[in-house]
Formats: sequence, C-alpha cells, structure tokens
Amino acid sequence: MDRSFMTTALKRCAVILAMLFAFFPIYWLFATSLKPFEEWAAWPPVWLTDNPTLQNYRIVFFPEAARAYAADQAGSLDYKVSGSAWKAFQDSAIISTCATVLSVTFGTLAAYSIVRYRTGGENYPFQFLTVRMMPPIAVVVPIVALFSVLRLSDTYIGLILAYTAFTLPFSIWMIRSFIEETPAELEGAAMVHGMTQLEAFTRITLPLAKGGILATALFIFILNWSEFLFALVLTSGNVTTVTLQVANYVSASSGKLYGVQAAMGAISTLPVIFFGYIIQKHLVRGLTFGAVKQ
Amino acid sequence: MSEDVKNQTGGDDTIAPPASRRRLIPFNVALVLPAQLTVMAVVVVPTLIVLWLALTDWQPTQGVPWWQADMIWFWNFVDLWYDERFTNAVWRTLFVVAVCIVIELALALGLALLFVEEWWWKRVAVSIIILPMMIIPVDAANAFFMLFNDLGPINHLISIVTGEPFQFSWLSHPTGAMVPIMLCEIWQWTPLMFLMVLTGLMSLPQNQVRAAIALGASPARIFRRIMLPLLSPVIGIAVLIRSIETFKIFDPVYILTRGQPGGATETISMYMYNGAFVYFRMGYIAAAALIVLVLVVSICLAMSRSLKRYS
Repeated sequence: MDRSFMTTALKRCAVILAMLFAFFPIYWLFATSLKPFEEWAAWPPVWLTDNPTLQNYRIVFFPEAARAYAADQAGSLDYKVSGSAWKAFQDSAIISTCATVLSVTFGTLAAYSIVRYRTGGENYPFQFLTVRMMPPIAVVVPIVALFSVLRLSDTYIGLILAYTAFTLPFSIWMIRSFIEETPAELEGAAMVHGMTQLEAFTRITLPLAKGGILATALFIFILNWSEFLFALVLTSGNVTTVTLQVANYVSASSGKLYGVQAAMGAISTLPVIFFGYIIQKHLVRGLTFGAVKQ
Repeated sequence: MSEDVKNQTGGDDTIAPPASRRRLIPFNVALVLPAQLTVMAVVVVPTLIVLWLALTDWQPTQGVPWWQADMIWFWNFVDLWYDERFTNAVWRTLFVVAVCIVIELALALGLALLFVEEWWWKRVAVSIIILPMMIIPVDAANAFFMLFNDLGPINHLISIVTGEPFQFSWLSHPTGAMVPIMLCEIWQWTPLMFLMVLTGLMSLPQNQVRAAIALGASPARIFRRIMLPLLSPVIGIAVLIRSIETFKIFDPVYILTRGQPGGATETISMYMYNGAFVYFRMGYIAAAALIVLVLVVSICLAMSRSLKRYS
C-alpha cells in the first residue's frame, strides 16, 4: 500500500460521496412516490418502504380516486388538485412542442443570417441575450396587462408566445455555434453553380447543421417543459402545465399528501431526464449560450 | 415589385441582377425578422407598458383598465425607497447570489480536479453527478420540501448523528428557511458549474503543466499559478451566467416558503410576485420592476466589461 494508492482511493471516495449527494434528493422523491399512505409522514421517516404501491400514481391520474381517497384518509383535498394530471401533461406537451418548433425555426433563420451575412454587425446577437438577462418577473406584470388587452391570458397561444420569446436567445446562440462549425465554402461553390441564397441555405448548410439543431430543439423543449413562472402568472385554470400541477400538490398538501406530490414530481420530471441524457454532451453548450463547448 | 424592377432595368437582357435577386427586404434581414419581432414584442412593448404603469397606481381589483389608471407620478419610487420589505428582498437576493455562487464554484473546482484523470467508471460517475441539473427546478424544490420537512430525513439524520431527538421546522423559520432554499439552488446548479470547469480543465494545454511537474512544482502551486489563470475565462463565464440566473431565483422560493413567514424569505422575484399577484399592487410592482431592470442591466454591463478585459 503506497501513498499514491491511498490518494487514489481517497479521490474515488470523494467522487462516490458527491454521487450520493447528487442522487439522494432524487432517490427520496421516487422512494416517497412509492410509499403507502401510513408511511408518508411517519417518524422516524421510512427510508425504503417494504410495501411499495402505485396508489399515489393512480391518485395523480384519476382524480375521482383522489377525491374518494382524500375524503377517506388524507383529509380534505384542495380544489385545484381535483383535475387529472392528464390535462397538465397534455397541455404541457402541446405548449412545449409548439413553442419549441417556433423558437428553433426563428432561431435557425436568425442564427444563419448572423453567421453567414454578419447581419447587424458584431454586437447584434447580444441584444437577444438581454431577454435572458432580465428577470422574467419584471416583464410579467406588463405582459399580463398586454395579454388582457389582446385576450391572450389563459390561452395556449399566449403561453406559446411567451415561451418562444424567452427561449429564443438560447436557440439563436446555440444554433449559431453549430452553424459556425459548418464550412462556408460549400455554399459559395453551390451559389457559383446557380443555387439561390435560399437553396444554398436549405440544401447545403441546413443538412450539415441538422444534428445540432435537433439537439437545440430537445434542449429548448426541456426548458419549456420546466418553465414555471409564466405558467403560474399567465394562466388561471383553463390551461395548466405539469409544473403548475406539481406546485398545486405542494401547496394543497402542506404535509398531508407527500406520496401523491412525490408521484407527480417523479413522473413529470422523467421525460426531461430522458431528453437531458440524450443531449448530455450539448447541455453545457446550451446553458452557456454556446460559449463553452464540450 | 418584380414588374417594376423589370421595367426599370429594361427587361431581362441587361447586366443588372435578375428581378428575383432584388427584394424589398434583403435576404439576410428577412431571416432575422421573425426572431427580432418576437423579441421586440416581449421586450420593447412590455418595457413601454412598465414605464407607464410605474407612474400609476393601477390595481386591477379596483376595476379600472390599466390604460385609464390614475397617474401618481413618482410616488411609487418614493414608497419603494422606504419599503423595507423591498430593500430587504434586494439585499437578500444579493446575499443568496453571493453565497450560492461562491459555494458552487468551490465545489465545482474541487470536483472537476477529481475528474481530470481517467478510470473505468468515470462516465457513470459524471452521469450521476449531473442528474440534479437535468430535473425540473420545481421538482427539485419539491424534493427538498420533503427532505426538510419536520418529519423528513434531514431532521432524522441530524437526530442520528447528534444522538438527541431533533425536530426543527426548517420551512417556517424566518432565517432557517433560507437554508433549504439555498441548498436546493446549490444542489441543482453545482453540476453545471462542474461541467463548465471540467470542460475548461480538459482543454487546458498540458505542456505547461508537464513542464511545471518536471521542474518539481507542488500540485497546489501548479493549480494556483498555471491552471487557475488559464481557467479564468471559463470561470468568468460560469460566474456571470450563474449570477444572472440565481438573481432571478423564484421556483424554489415559491415551492418551499412563498416568501413566508412574513416576507422573511422573499427574494426580489418572490417579493414582486406577492406584490403583483397576491396584493394586486400592479403599478407599485411595475415601479419595482423598473428599478430591478436598471439594476440588472448595469450589473451585467459592468460584469461583461470586466469579462472582456479578461479574454
């Protein structure tokens, strides 16, 4: 046993400790979602349940079961939670998908123009970042005012517009970094052979940057799916999202519905984890606006 | 349009570019137009509305539409100046940003140094460690809500370690509640910092490090004198981006405490949410929004200036 072996062992132990810290809250979320009612708020807390049940997931998706169950065991349920989570998943899917398509389309067009034509000069792309710099809560008040005039509050279109605008900086900057990696010479050659500018873009550069654009789309979808503040402020019951549903369970439970709340949390975050691992190698690029590449 | 152009250029047999090449709007400008218009719609228009609302006393509960609200000129700003809840929220937010960024950076640097070498389960370890940044922020807060509950595992762990029964109501304690809020933020975003620093570390030129080792420099010295200066652009970007994002912190506060008890855990975003959508003082909060916008823009400009000087 020499010293270098000891330091290596210590280093690996530190890594394992970090893994434990990273994993534990997620473990707790999933573990609680499988606990039966009696173990939700037991003392000492149940670290690993002996009788796992899917009852909590059933309550999430079938509110009739929830109401009967709540009346039966867990006390009164908040009225907000009487809606099935299906509605939230459906709305989130519609809004996130539409906003992603819009954001990535607009982003690709703008990024291409910025890279190939230096549109607007060197500082032009930075103005898109201002959207990301300012706290959304600061623009939420005027957006509410504006939406009330345009009759967009509590509609799909309203949320889609807000999501599109607030993910645009990410899509422009991320796609820009991908397009910068494609050679400009090919397009020049194509145009010499009679392609128009548009054809050169759609038939030469777009196929080359396809992978990057797809990764960006998944990244934007994750952002949209996870968004909370706009959903909270711009809706009032007609439209709902998974994040709102989670928040409703938390505020409704105040210690009574841990299991159901955990089930909703676990199931709502699964798609995002899945997509996250697909684009793992592009995550840093996305979250740093293309500044740091893996 | 194309007909006009043809007439002016005298038909197809001139040397002028064909009509199809001449457009009302140049090709490249047309491409940025959709993005530009969307950004204008959510930045310029709302900013104009905020400028108006900040001068009014609009409260939607009074039944007056916002464009007819009473002008009260600059009284909102005067009130904000003396509003301790607001100034406290501002200082609290800056405190949260400072503490979270420092801890995240320290943890990320330490972790990244552990990951410079290769071993067989390294990829698995990275995948697990970055799990927190993959999940929905609201769900991260949800998990911490359960961890820090009176009957949660954190209290249980403390009881086991100290050997005495420990029951602390983290989430309803005025200062104690800041712990789960900040821990949640740190837990979720240290992985991003870690990935950024690791990316920077892996792309460092190895020659200088090897030369320093050959000359007998200690690891601590190599880290401080060679790695840290070379890493500073990456660290600068990481700190800038994370500061901006942490400044906006809302989701964990909303889920864990909603700024309770008595506004003791309110950050700027939470304060403004409560003001606008719990007390419905829209005009007042618009004035606060204006102040925050000016604050953020000036801080960002200052930080990006110093970042540019770095690189």
